[in-house]
Amino acid sequence: MNETKVNNTSISKYKKSKFKLSPPLTALLIALVLFLLSGLLPNGFNSLSTAYRQAMNILRLASFIAIVGAGQTLVIISGSEGIDLSAGSVVTVGALITYMFINGNNQMILPILLIVLLMGAVVGLINGLGVMYLKISPFVMTLSMAGVVQGALVLYTKGYYDGKVAPIMTRIIARDLFWEIPGMIFVLIIIGILMSLLLNRTRYGKQLFAIGVNRLTARLSGVRVSSMVVLTYVIAGAMAAFSGFLLVGYTQNAGPNLGNQYLFPSIIAVAIGGTQMSGGKGTYFGTIAGAIVIQLITSLLTTMQLPQALQQIIFGSLLVIILIVYGRSKSLKA
Amino acid sequence: MSNPKKLNIGAWWKKLNVKYSLGLPLVLLIVTTLLSFLFQPNIFRPNVLSRLLTSNFRTWLPVLLVTIGQAIVLIGGGLDLSNGSIASVGNVILALTVVSADETGKNVVMVLAVIVFGILAGFINGVLTAYLGLQPVIVTFATSYIYSGLALLMLPTPGGAIPRVYTDVYRNTSLLGIPISLIIIGIIVLIWSIFRNRKYGRFLYAVGGDANAAYTTGVPVTWMKVSTYVISGLLAAFAAIFYSLLTGSGFSDSGGDMTLSSVTGAVLGGVAMRGGIGSVIGAVFGGIVLGNIRNIISSARINSWARTLVNALIILIALAGPGLLNLFRRKKFNERNKS
Amino acid sequence: MKSIVLNTEEIRKRFGGVHALRDGSIDVRSGEVLALVGANGSGKSTLTKIITGVLTQDSGLVYYRNEPVQYHNPMAAQKAGIMAVYQELSLVPSLTVAQNIWLANEALKKSGFVDDKAMIEKTKELLKLFEGTYQSSLHPEAYVHSLPPDEKQIVEILKAISRNPEVLILDEATASLDSKQVNRLFGLIDKLRDEGKGLVFVSHRMDEIFQIADRAVVLRNGTTVGEVLISEASENSIVRMMVGSESEIIKETDLVYDIENKDIVLEVDDIRSEKLDGVSFKVFQGELVGIGGLRGQGQSSLLHTLFGNNQYAGTISIFGETIDFKHPKEAMRQSVALIPGDRASEGLLLIRSILENFHLPNWKAYGKPLLKINKARKDAQQMSEQLQLVMDALDSPVSSLSGGNAQKVVIGKWLLRNPKLLLLDDPTKGVDVGTKSEFYKLLINLVEGGTTILFYSSDDQELLGLCPRIMVMHDGKIRADLSKEMLSEENLVAASMGATSESNNHKDL
Repeated sequence: MNETKVNNTSISKYKKSKFKLSPPLTALLIALVLFLLSGLLPNGFNSLSTAYRQAMNILRLASFIAIVGAGQTLVIISGSEGIDLSAGSVVTVGALITYMFINGNNQMILPILLIVLLMGAVVGLINGLGVMYLKISPFVMTLSMAGVVQGALVLYTKGYYDGKVAPIMTRIIARDLFWEIPGMIFVLIIIGILMSLLLNRTRYGKQLFAIGVNRLTARLSGVRVSSMVVLTYVIAGAMAAFSGFLLVGYTQNAGPNLGNQYLFPSIIAVAIGGTQMSGGKGTYFGTIAGAIVIQLITSLLTTMQLPQALQQIIFGSLLVIILIVYGRSKSLKA
Repeated sequence: MSNPKKLNIGAWWKKLNVKYSLGLPLVLLIVTTLLSFLFQPNIFRPNVLSRLLTSNFRTWLPVLLVTIGQAIVLIGGGLDLSNGSIASVGNVILALTVVSADETGKNVVMVLAVIVFGILAGFINGVLTAYLGLQPVIVTFATSYIYSGLALLMLPTPGGAIPRVYTDVYRNTSLLGIPISLIIIGIIVLIWSIFRNRKYGRFLYAVGGDANAAYTTGVPVTWMKVSTYVISGLLAAFAAIFYSLLTGSGFSDSGGDMTLSSVTGAVLGGVAMRGGIGSVIGAVFGGIVLGNIRNIISSARINSWARTLVNALIILIALAGPGLLNLFRRKKFNERNKS
Repeated sequence: MKSIVLNTEEIRKRFGGVHALRDGSIDVRSGEVLALVGANGSGKSTLTKIITGVLTQDSGLVYYRNEPVQYHNPMAAQKAGIMAVYQELSLVPSLTVAQNIWLANEALKKSGFVDDKAMIEKTKELLKLFEGTYQSSLHPEAYVHSLPPDEKQIVEILKAISRNPEVLILDEATASLDSKQVNRLFGLIDKLRDEGKGLVFVSHRMDEIFQIADRAVVLRNGTTVGEVLISEASENSIVRMMVGSESEIIKETDLVYDIENKDIVLEVDDIRSEKLDGVSFKVFQGELVGIGGLRGQGQSSLLHTLFGNNQYAGTISIFGETIDFKHPKEAMRQSVALIPGDRASEGLLLIRSILENFHLPNWKAYGKPLLKINKARKDAQQMSEQLQLVMDALDSPVSSLSGGNAQKVVIGKWLLRNPKLLLLDDPTKGVDVGTKSEFYKLLINLVEGGTTILFYSSDDQELLGLCPRIMVMHDGKIRADLSKEMLSEENLVAASMGATSESNNHKDL
């Protein structure tokens, strides 16, 4: 190994050691500070129970971002500029299918869930095939699929959305499950555990990091790169569809733009969580932390009752600041 | 010498494809243009053609400008997701301040202000990505949030009125049948081709191809990357100016569709997202192709509910083009080798 | 004594906790070739990068023509006349040969526009310097990404020379070159030396150092430990300075191979592909077969084909079964392993941990759906001890290792699978003498344990010293299959040049 590479990456190791906390923990710390700050506001929380309720609400809202972010995390780790811009539309379609076909009937939940997952998987499959075999860059491929999915949605519904959420789902997702903790949080915890295991304790996970770092090395080490990439987009699609399925249990209705508001937050959550956009490295814990940070900032700005425009400016500026604080990739000079 | 003429075309085509990645975009351009003409009656009467070009290009100019900016950023290895928002700010500023044709001095100042804003916003993007090393996807998305929030702040509801005098000039002027908007694109492409064939152009493709190798060789990489974002911001400011002249009014999300269209247009035009490959003229072709597709869909009177889907599908197929050709070529190569 | 054109005084450079340089002090004289010698991690590359402005030192001075200088970027050093040919190439793959050579040094027309025609002409002139040593793929308008490693290296060398440097640093410039190309390069170096330029030659190859250098300075652990005149030194004395002790350096083996009663492990018949033009041979169990020849004759391609990484026509049979590998994974299942030529880009996941790198091909063996990570750790720990790997911890990134140790990870990752057929694609490129010696010991152990090895090396001496049988490739064919009395440097070189000889002992079997 030439010494150049050794020294360059040692530089980044040195820079990272300056920030004793890893990015996800830094994000969580920021989140905590923001939460406490929000309590000091005029219409912030004045008692422990209000604080608790607010915290639970924020966590619940953040979980949707985090679950859409699960697929996004995988795709970004897979490298080669991996990204899934179709996640928003897939969430919407997943929500709509759930809403329109369950129609308040508990027994339809399982079959419809399967259909929803299948739909997401198919979209992901097309994304994966286009990226891997047609060599279309993920940004543009998933962006175009977003258009296709959205277009299909518009064509099918013709603006007419009628349906009803199944009572069990409302019970679990919108309300509390055990110990006054919303059901969604349990869902998030389960998904968090599964994702962590997937990334760190399965062959898929090890191979995913490998293809994110260096696809040639991976292939020469026996990894079937093409299958891995396609599989990853399939999982991402299914996860996005699943989030839509859950989301409608919370919002109680569905519309054509339901999922779009989760697309960029899901990507930002991954970035704030410390996963590099170039791939090969990352954690789902980071994505969850990132989702919480995003939701906290959003809720904070809403509580402050600032005009939408100011909220946007502050959100964007805060994001830039957070990225500057720890998002630096190695510079060219030592 | 078997067939000298045929050899030349073959070599020319190969050069077009390999050196400039222009082959497929050119084909797409010709095909979509012909198809869109098909839906226009009497297209080959001089007046009709001129009117069609005018109405098309005056609408397309803003998007084409940001597509050129995006292409330059992409070739340099970056990505600018804030160009649409920069354009929105520019449009809002002009809609609010350029209200009377008598105040030419003030109007000129405001136009300059928009240009300065574009350059500044681009510079900020450049510093954040190239100098601080942050990821372009996220950081330019964050700045786009800031800029579009700024636009929303200045103009919460659509409004403003640019004097008819100005908008008429932009919308309807043409020289020798060529609309002013097309001339402007031509001028910008010409100016770029000057840079392209000087050291700047060479450095740009080197930086996009392999930034580390370029640095070691002595290319001022950081400065180059920052400059691409500045150019993108500048072109977004121009886009704002022409958009304002086109619509005559202001809307805080005027640049909303521009950003993603600029990326799609550039990629259709042969610009690679990883950098170092593609051309500005290809990006212009790509942008025109997108416009043609939209026109074809509306002229073909496709069911309005189906339009989004058809549009997206056609774009997807166009994007799949190079990849499909490659697969086909590889299959042929393998078959030849096996025997 | 010639005058000093560039010297460095007590250069220190730290990267975090790693002291790359503690005392880098060298004198470069005009009209002289100074060899800069040291093991991997001794600080050679860091020092050269500081001199050329790519890095900045923490303390210490660089003097150019007896004036202290400070170059903050490569361009500044270039303008002053200091150029380097790097180990890690500085070429942009998406640009052409001419564009790369003239990057940041473009020929301009009066109007300021880039003069492509002039640059292409000048490039043709430069390429003449290496005429006859490369294939037709190398021409001014070829894209660098399409070139094989040796031609890329030639372009890199020409790029440096074209800028007429006063001081030229060649950092492992010969690593990717074959003997013909190296000789041509040495011719160029001689010319530059006669012109009074100052040259620094960084290399691991002792024979080259003794061939071309006038003086040698040795770095060890970031400190200058000594300087000698080549005419007064011996290989051993220099190695001693490098390593700091009298360690046993193996350069040759006495392997004798007896093919009686041995099974055919690998049988290859008329392989044709992009780079191969009818390759046929047999290999017996437990053989250590070398593959030699000039660069780019198909050696690497042959190995990759055997490993299932290339398309081909023809028949391959392994352990008696005809196989048709479509992917390396299938080769792995048949107990074949490939140690690739470029460890950074083909053999390692640089930012991942040593543990993950060790097990990348092996995770299947650790259970599903959840992996038994503890068992994996134990096995990795064992392997690292076996290989005498010097590391912080299994969880440190593999990029924290020095070159020789990183190569051990690449080897270990395949040894964990106990392959029956081991393919090696120029594995000792850029590896220091100490590690090479350990590597040879390892290969001998493996062969004695029954593993069959195919070993491609661009270093003729290495092949001759190590292998009892060498297949020499030329133009995608096996030109000679040398063993026993036929195994000589003469025959090796002759076959490399394409001369057919009656030396094919194994052909009749």
